Amino acid sequence: MDVTEIFNSLTGTFPEAISEAAVESKIRARAYVDKEKVKEVCQYLKDSLQFDHLCVVCGVDYIKRNEFEVVYHIASYNHPVVLMLKAILPRENPEIESIVSVYWNANWYERETYELYGIVFKNHPNLKPLILPEEMLGEWPLRKDYEGFPNKTARNLV
Amino acid sequence: MEERLEPNEMIIHLGPQHPMQPGPFRLNLRLKGETVIDADIELGYIHKGIEKILENRTYLQGITIVDRICYLVALVNEECFVGCVEKLLDIEPPERSKYIRVILEELTRIQSHLLGIGEFAEFIGFVSMFMYAIREREEVLSLIDMVTGARVTHSYLKFGGVRNDLPDGFKEKTLPVLKGLKKEIDNFEQMFHTDRIYRERTVGVGVLTADAAKDLGVSGPVLRATGVPFDIRKNEPYLVYEDLDFKVCTETAGDCFARVQVRLNEIRESIYILEQCLDQIPDGPLFPENTLYGRRTPVMRVPAGEVFYRVEDPRGEMGMYMVSDGSDRPYRVKIRGPYYPTLQALPPLIIGTTVADVAAISGSMDGCTSEADR
Amino acid sequence: MGEVKGKKTSTPNETSVEEIPGVITTTASAISDFLKKTKAQDLINWGRKNSMWFMVQPMGCCGVEMIAMGCAHYDTDRFGIIPRNSPRQADVMLISGYVTKKYLPALKRLWEQMPSPKWVIAIGDCSISGGPFYESYSTVQNIDEIFPIDVFVPGCPPRPEAMLQGFVELQEKIKAKKDLGTEY
Repeated sequence: MDVTEIFNSLTGTFPEAISEAAVESKIRARAYVDKEKVKEVCQYLKDSLQFDHLCVVCGVDYIKRNEFEVVYHIASYNHPVVLMLKAILPRENPEIESIVSVYWNANWYERETYELYGIVFKNHPNLKPLILPEEMLGEWPLRKDYEGFPNKTARNLV
Repeated sequence: MEERLEPNEMIIHLGPQHPMQPGPFRLNLRLKGETVIDADIELGYIHKGIEKILENRTYLQGITIVDRICYLVALVNEECFVGCVEKLLDIEPPERSKYIRVILEELTRIQSHLLGIGEFAEFIGFVSMFMYAIREREEVLSLIDMVTGARVTHSYLKFGGVRNDLPDGFKEKTLPVLKGLKKEIDNFEQMFHTDRIYRERTVGVGVLTADAAKDLGVSGPVLRATGVPFDIRKNEPYLVYEDLDFKVCTETAGDCFARVQVRLNEIRESIYILEQCLDQIPDGPLFPENTLYGRRTPVMRVPAGEVFYRVEDPRGEMGMYMVSDGSDRPYRVKIRGPYYPTLQALPPLIIGTTVADVAAISGSMDGCTSEADR
Repeated sequence: MGEVKGKKTSTPNETSVEEIPGVITTTASAISDFLKKTKAQDLINWGRKNSMWFMVQPMGCCGVEMIAMGCAHYDTDRFGIIPRNSPRQADVMLISGYVTKKYLPALKRLWEQMPSPKWVIAIGDCSISGGPFYESYSTVQNIDEIFPIDVFVPGCPPRPEAMLQGFVELQEKIKAKKDLGTEY
């Protein structure tokens, strides 16, 4: 499946939800997606465009713009195109629809993004800390304004 | 997991320190008699916060940190990180550097698979096999040591090339090792195929079908053992893999036996790739000409942009998503380790099996918890 | 040393009520206190230093070198250093990597499960000073204030030969009765 074909199909089906879409190279494409429509777009990608492999879900903190971005990299087992979908969330009270019902392996990625950034994934089956101890929940260590880094507890530093 | 238990049920915790595990994680099993009816994984016992540290280090310092994501495949991690930066800088290493990288990465693949096979054999009680595998692994490690000067963490790749050239006599020393390794792999295969106890513990255990594997999002030998020929080296060729002749090893059974068989075949393919590389490697500079990348570059600014770069790790698909804001350190690096989805797929696989098979299934995934935790 | 009979119910200071003629009644701790002053302790230490079983617990990069050390090529078995999987059967704990906030309680519990005399070796820069992860939000620094560490093996990761040297140093310490694992 060709990248332009995928691109046209995607922008044609969701003219409102998809914005700033671009083809970067033969194997990379990118687009911004409306945060309300993430699940529908993913369902369409999986069913119609053979995007059956979710590479990664991650958060990025753009503190100057006062925004979070949730970035989905979706690939396929059949063709080499990787699509980068981005959803913009406000920094206060960030919430987005979970895509676990579409891509099963998004489960842990979303749990991780939740505990590191504080982005809440609605309708997630089991949204609880995965990596950090329970008492660190609420510190959101990967946000840019996190104050516990660098850690100054080591006494034997030069 | 609910703590309320029916009669006849019990919960056992495997880990954080357990001989079955490649590193500390916790596997909570809920048993009914001897059958696993529920399973749950807790991660984070060796979470080091690499993604945060990378944001606060310069690009060159970052190479040292990404070595330690997964210590078994340090060179592949470096390739992923360095590849990201090279994409952002829009440079390409010269042919000789590319060949050296392929040589070292294939050696890394061989030693990682050898350890994976050995550990798996140990988990199901075949301890002599572990010793045989480690013996061969030491030979391969000494080859890597000869080039990079370190056994585990190398810091060998640099942006646009590699740190130093292959030493004199590398080819003459490598070829006999590869020849011996080929013979040993045949021995291993024969042992695996003829040992009745081994076959009873692995054939038909932990079966994963191709559709289920795709749904669970796994990659690497676990996926290829189900018959899906998904390999980043073929699907999205990087370095010189396009010019090299190799095939993607697949099996159809999808059980523990097939996974080990895929790893054995991949070692053979890697040896074949290495032989081609050693024959074809051209002479030339290690860094792009008329650039300063070969010099010491303490401060290097990278143009703003973002990139997602994938390489084939011995455990599957390894990717990094890097955002640069034009300064001398990355704005955000997300590491997509291959073992993370594979470990996530472990609970659905072990539900319904017996406790004795948990070690076999978990071992056949060839884990590296350090990379799942990062 | 005469015949020795340990009584579980008697405390060290209590004089025995029922005395059997020709039999000296004493306690286990009294025996060990007595032994520490004699040459017998040297013999015991010789035995201890030549059978140091370590607990396999790969935590980081050093963990994989630790595995390599215990296996065919470097073969620690010739020094009586044998990898054991259970803390109940181990004498030496190797802290082989970064200790995280989440793992520290488990590590303490593993340490408590080991029977004395027991020793700790800190392997690698991460367990000595934090290494490359000294400023991370999830790791614990100053491990030496938590565990009585006898030997530090620097390196990131140290080679298996260096780890072997660490064991040899520990053996020397035990021989000289200067280790922290035994109370002298």
